[in-house]
Amino acid sequence: MRRPYKWLVPLFALALVAAACGDDDDTTPTATTAAPATTAAPAQTTAAPTTAAPVTTEAPAGVTLIIGTTDSISGLDGADAYAVHDWELLKNIGEGLLRWEPGSGDKLVTGAAAGFGEFSADGLSYTIALKPGLVFGDGTPLTAQSYADQINDRLLVLEGPGGVGPALGQPYVESVEALDDVTIKFNLTETWGFFEQLLAGAPYIPTNPTQFTAAELNNFPDAPIYGNGPWYIESYVVDEQTVLKPNPTYQGDSPAQVEQVIVRYFGSPQSMAEAVQTGEIDVAWRILGPDLISQLTGVSGLNVERINAGPIRYFIVNHSLPPTDDPNVRKAIAYAIDRDEISDRVFQGAVDPLFSPIPPGFLGANDVYDDVYAAPDVGAATAALAASGYTPDAPLDLTLAYPPEHYGGTVADTMQVMKEQLEATGAVNVDLVAQEWSTYIGAVIGGADYPVSFLGWFYDYPDPDNYLNPFIVNGGLGTMVTDPDTGEGIDATSQELVDKLIQAASTSDPSTREALYGEIQALHAELVVTLPLWVEAEHVVYRDGVSGDDAFGSLVTLNIGPTIEFNYNTLSAS
Amino acid sequence: MHPLALIFLIIGVPAALALAYIFIRGSHSLRRYVLTRIVLTIPMVLILASLVFLVLRVIPGDPVTSALGPKGSPEVKERLRTNLGLNEPLFIQYGSFLGDVLTLDLGNAMTLAQRPVVDELGERLPATLELIIPASALALGIGLIFGTWAAVRRKKTSDYGFRLYSVAIYAMPVFWLGLLFQLLFGVWLGWTPTGGRIEATLGATVDRTTNMLLVDSVLHGNWEAFRSVLHHMILPTLTLGLILSGVFLRLTRINVIETLQEDYVAAARARGIRERVITYSHALKNAMIPVITLIGLQVAILLGGAILTETVFSWPGMGRYLVDRITARDFTAVQGSIVMFALFVALISLAVDIIYSLLDPRVKY
Repeated sequence: MRRPYKWLVPLFALALVAAACGDDDDTTPTATTAAPATTAAPAQTTAAPTTAAPVTTEAPAGVTLIIGTTDSISGLDGADAYAVHDWELLKNIGEGLLRWEPGSGDKLVTGAAAGFGEFSADGLSYTIALKPGLVFGDGTPLTAQSYADQINDRLLVLEGPGGVGPALGQPYVESVEALDDVTIKFNLTETWGFFEQLLAGAPYIPTNPTQFTAAELNNFPDAPIYGNGPWYIESYVVDEQTVLKPNPTYQGDSPAQVEQVIVRYFGSPQSMAEAVQTGEIDVAWRILGPDLISQLTGVSGLNVERINAGPIRYFIVNHSLPPTDDPNVRKAIAYAIDRDEISDRVFQGAVDPLFSPIPPGFLGANDVYDDVYAAPDVGAATAALAASGYTPDAPLDLTLAYPPEHYGGTVADTMQVMKEQLEATGAVNVDLVAQEWSTYIGAVIGGADYPVSFLGWFYDYPDPDNYLNPFIVNGGLGTMVTDPDTGEGIDATSQELVDKLIQAASTSDPSTREALYGEIQALHAELVVTLPLWVEAEHVVYRDGVSGDDAFGSLVTLNIGPTIEFNYNTLSAS
Repeated sequence: MHPLALIFLIIGVPAALALAYIFIRGSHSLRRYVLTRIVLTIPMVLILASLVFLVLRVIPGDPVTSALGPKGSPEVKERLRTNLGLNEPLFIQYGSFLGDVLTLDLGNAMTLAQRPVVDELGERLPATLELIIPASALALGIGLIFGTWAAVRRKKTSDYGFRLYSVAIYAMPVFWLGLLFQLLFGVWLGWTPTGGRIEATLGATVDRTTNMLLVDSVLHGNWEAFRSVLHHMILPTLTLGLILSGVFLRLTRINVIETLQEDYVAAARARGIRERVITYSHALKNAMIPVITLIGLQVAILLGGAILTETVFSWPGMGRYLVDRITARDFTAVQGSIVMFALFVALISLAVDIIYSLLDPRVKY
């Protein structure tokens, strides 16, 4: 019998063997592979003629850096994107009027703006000028009018699932005007002292009107995607990879240092950790757990560095429910919790204790809780409890609630450690209550169920206000230091806290704000509004030969500072 | 063309041709069997879809609060709840859901910019197929070859060895085997990549017509990409294929042993036909019939294994999508994904039953 296709069998086997023996895996640390010719040619757009000759930037040929992450793309429209990685990409392909200096948590510098703007005398408007002659990567001009249209017609109007407009646009900006080709005036809803910090955020980055129109949100636009930043997205496949190339018309002062950056998306941290070990990727960035960090530390050729900022973990302490409506109980908890022990026993030292609601690196951050309570101080905790009549014979029954699955597998362990610490006072019986996330978060915010509950937070805009305001105003996400309906403090100290918070939010002078945040933190610690526990430090792992730019801070973490912004343009390879 | 439509076209056209053949040329009993089987598939899918609907509504917690967390304002939550129809009475939600399932509208995801779930799955299905097709072929190949080998050498060392292998490999958790392979072949020996579908620098060079990278690289003559894709397929395919091979091996072995004791085999031996021809041309062919049935049953296990394999190897298929959406508490995406998985399993089972009826004329309904 004829078997016409039997030759396919050895052919397939041969192909498998050839593939297995192939040397296409690049194990050199800095992946100096020549970038292959890509099939995605830059799109011909219908852009208006450019108003200025674009400045062409050149990056070293043949150098590709591959960054791994367990994040994924959720949307790339600045008027809707609200995830950490989306913002990271938007900040690399676009440049805001103002931006954070790489590696810094409190130093704003100009980006697309010619200089810093000015608040009006009443603080209700902010005027700033663009650099003249700016264009997007495809040649579309960036003018004051196009920017004003972007904010007015998109950020303040379009409402997508991300909810960016209602969260970071409408509460702060009433409208935007173009006073001439380059001058932009923001009409603010109130006097917002941190408006410049807000302006440095991803929602306010100029977006290309040829791709992001006033008609609708465009979260997954066709590539290439051009902005006014140092990179453009040449191609992307969700959950697979994003390819970034230097923007040919970038006119800023920090152009790309390599020819190509590829972001690869991983399904598991373990898989990403292996890839950085084998050299399949050059940088592993977000999110590796404490076990993997410990496993990678000390591996030859790898650099494991910690950034002590980012997501924080804390207790919401309910001021309207017994027994935490009693200041002595709140203080006893603050005295009893040993953050170092949690870090050592549960995280193998991979997290840093947090002694303020404002994480380190941000304006005004201090260690107020350490200064006031110097925890662990079991004696002081016992004394505080005794002052309210709680003794070993008549112990306090305290419920600690937590969502067991929402913040990773370590939460249950940390809660157990904290239960032991509280019970070490001899005057507390702790009842740990694990609750499914959606039921849990509703109960916490409602403020009627749990006296103490565990939560995490990551900023919307990197400013102290965003680490304080949500936990104080309008019921404070369950702290109940203010009335959820009237917004007034529940007592004189709470009201003083609210007043100072409003004052700090409406002041733009950094030194005045810093002083106010010092006072706010002191009041915060006195009341124990929340109990800061630890900073869920981020880690970046990179291979030898990859480096940041020594012109900026946080060089050892590839210029990733407290804002957790990763500027790919500062990366180079040797 | 939508990738999902393309895939259904690839599967649907041969299926339609086969059905046409059955209804034109097939016997009356075969036609009746196939028709009954098709009709039975519809309630099966509906029951599965209903179960998914009910289970997701019985589990505690509000999906909207769960997805938006503490930062979602009451207005945004209410709008999302209205958009999802969660404010409607349960029976209206159910009716609407079933209507949508019948038209293959699985709704929009709550995350990922609320894209249609069908689009999300359609983009990822080719990657899943690119994993499960070779894995199935590998499992079947190992099962048939070594199952027959073990049957022929019954009660010899190799037979014991293969029996031990089949039990051990089936008992192994797929994610554990995947991690082991990653560490052994990827990290320690450096022979294979540890994850992904293609080398990062080549990913953008493939013109994605079908989004099955192996097919696309061949279609466009991109041999460097072809080699890279093949290289990346080795570990995930091995992991999934080996796990499934144990069952096929045991079933093949026992069926070949039984068939070799049949009278017609003894008659063939008496006629002086060579043992190898008897084993592979006569005994194995008949022994394969129950194995084909098993393929249909294994599809569900295969997809379950693919979920873990895709996560371990960062393979951007439907399984990883489902895991990601569960993590993101994306209620509608999870619901849509499970319905799609159920649909997939039901259709493959149907196809296998029809093939079985064609191969085994004794099947009657």
